[in-house]
Amino acid sequence: MSGFKETLKDAVRQMSFRTSLDSLKKKGVQQVNVLGIDRIIALIEAAVHRSLKSRLVGVEREAVADATKAEFLRMLRTNEDLQRQKSEIERQKEMVEDEVDQLRREIASQQQALELRLEEGALSMAARYEGENAAIAAKVHEVLKALAAAGSSSITDAEERVMALVMDIVSVERQSADEARRALRDREVDTLQRRIKKLSESLDLTEQRLQSVAAMKSLDGGISSIYREVQGVDFGDVQAGKKKELMAEIFKANLKLQKKQ
Amino acid sequence: MSDTKQTEDAPKKDHGVLYIGMDLGTSRTSVSASNGVRETVYSMVGYPKDVVSMKLLKKEVLFGKEALEKRLSLKLYKPLEKGVLKYTGDAAKDAEAKANLKAAQDLIGEAIRLAKPRKDELVYCVIGAPAEASVKNREAIIEAARAHVDSVMLCSEPFSVAYGLDWLEDVLVVDIGAGTTDLCRMHGTMPEETDQVMYDIAGDAIDEELSRRITETCPGAQFTIHMVKDIKERYGFVGDAPERCMVDLPVDGKPTAFDLTDQIRAACSILIDPIVKGIHKLIASFDPQFQTKLKNRVLLAGGGSMVKGLDSAVEKAMKERLGGGKVIRIEEPIYGGANGALKIAHDMPADFWEQLK
Repeated sequence: MSGFKETLKDAVRQMSFRTSLDSLKKKGVQQVNVLGIDRIIALIEAAVHRSLKSRLVGVEREAVADATKAEFLRMLRTNEDLQRQKSEIERQKEMVEDEVDQLRREIASQQQALELRLEEGALSMAARYEGENAAIAAKVHEVLKALAAAGSSSITDAEERVMALVMDIVSVERQSADEARRALRDREVDTLQRRIKKLSESLDLTEQRLQSVAAMKSLDGGISSIYREVQGVDFGDVQAGKKKELMAEIFKANLKLQKKQ
Repeated sequence: MSDTKQTEDAPKKDHGVLYIGMDLGTSRTSVSASNGVRETVYSMVGYPKDVVSMKLLKKEVLFGKEALEKRLSLKLYKPLEKGVLKYTGDAAKDAEAKANLKAAQDLIGEAIRLAKPRKDELVYCVIGAPAEASVKNREAIIEAARAHVDSVMLCSEPFSVAYGLDWLEDVLVVDIGAGTTDLCRMHGTMPEETDQVMYDIAGDAIDEELSRRITETCPGAQFTIHMVKDIKERYGFVGDAPERCMVDLPVDGKPTAFDLTDQIRAACSILIDPIVKGIHKLIASFDPQFQTKLKNRVLLAGGGSMVKGLDSAVEKAMKERLGGGKVIRIEEPIYGGANGALKIAHDMPADFWEQLK
């Protein structure tokens, strides 16, 4: 019996909440009535026993009391299971949130790498062209010098011819080299873009999971109302007639307001 | 989501009926529910400013005190002003109005969540709205609440206070909120426009006045309007000081003690004149046969009624201007409106709720 009392006491403690006198004061509460936990337990027990006594006799009463205790303990265990489930879901939620962060960081770093690679490619291409042009000019100069040495009548004509020839060759070279480089770069960009797409999809999926975990988190079932059905004005109330009229007026005003929408 | 899907997903509501009474105020929003829950939250809503603050706060929206404490990382909204939503009805054209409307909707949703409704219960809610709220404003409140409850109704705030106390006849309610002070006389029927008076001298006006006086009389003192509000809530009084109001305020970074007794008394006293003026107006225009009865049944409600000595000070001023009167302060100023709205929800017949579903 004392074990049951302790369990009941624990249950009352679990369902209560702590608050400070200051916060009560801020809520406008000036005075509180204090009821000790032992007194609450005693009241619950007395109420249950009185109720059983008035309705049942002898062995039957004992059986009902035992069954009630067993049911109470079962409800407590169910509550503990729910608490465990809630903790597990919260743990899962934290894991998924970490995963989302990780994916976000990875996407950002991949995008940064892609931009860097594109910038580097543009710079190195410009430098390479400059070097090649200089080398070609030098070669043409050498050719002209050679022509002059050979006693050609018009150097200009010779230079034009040589330049045209050389540039023709060079442009073909450049074209093929460009194509090769473009293909390489496209492959890299394509790879990076595919990785980003994959990571984005993965992020979407994880976010969906996170949402579903967040939705599951609301395991807190709420607190039951004391009413099973709609009440209405109490007929025993001395002002019942007046209250009914007032209710009808409030309703009419709301009907007008809400039907307009 | 289609209607069919919604019907499939919705839990069967056969467990019971939860009534919620809500007082949607400029400063605080309070709820009382038929499951015994009573909660209040500052009417402030904050959204993380950027991804970094979102990561830090781990929430998409914060409410009340938490939002106030983390305001540096948030875009903070006070969606109500002078008792009504900061919403003109043309939200599509005004981004700020749209944001305020969303904040108001989120605040109402949070207030209903605080009442801890069960998914398998019908939830019927009555919201105390200011008498002066426009139709657009009322529609916005209804729309916001509908997302969270099965049926919702609005009623006048001062009326709900009186109804909660069963004072339906010959009573004058003075509801002192943050944005407005509303006076309403009850004579057994729904109050009409001529039964109500509103002044915008209320809690916020006291804060501004106190700030001004502290700036004038406490050189170098650094403070915010939130600190001033805390000081008012802790010490607010009129008449004889119940204690010296010693408050620490930083001066150049160093906490310095200031005696703010006179400043607080003077700031809180700005309430008295409009209240007495309103009482005078409503009594003078009432049926002469019942004027004395009305004078002796003046009810102070709302957060502002927690100013110490206000009932005696109003009585004293009434004696001078109206030859006497009796002022009673309600026991629970913060929950008076919500408790009354809860009682209205309880007394509303089933078919009325059904028709508004």
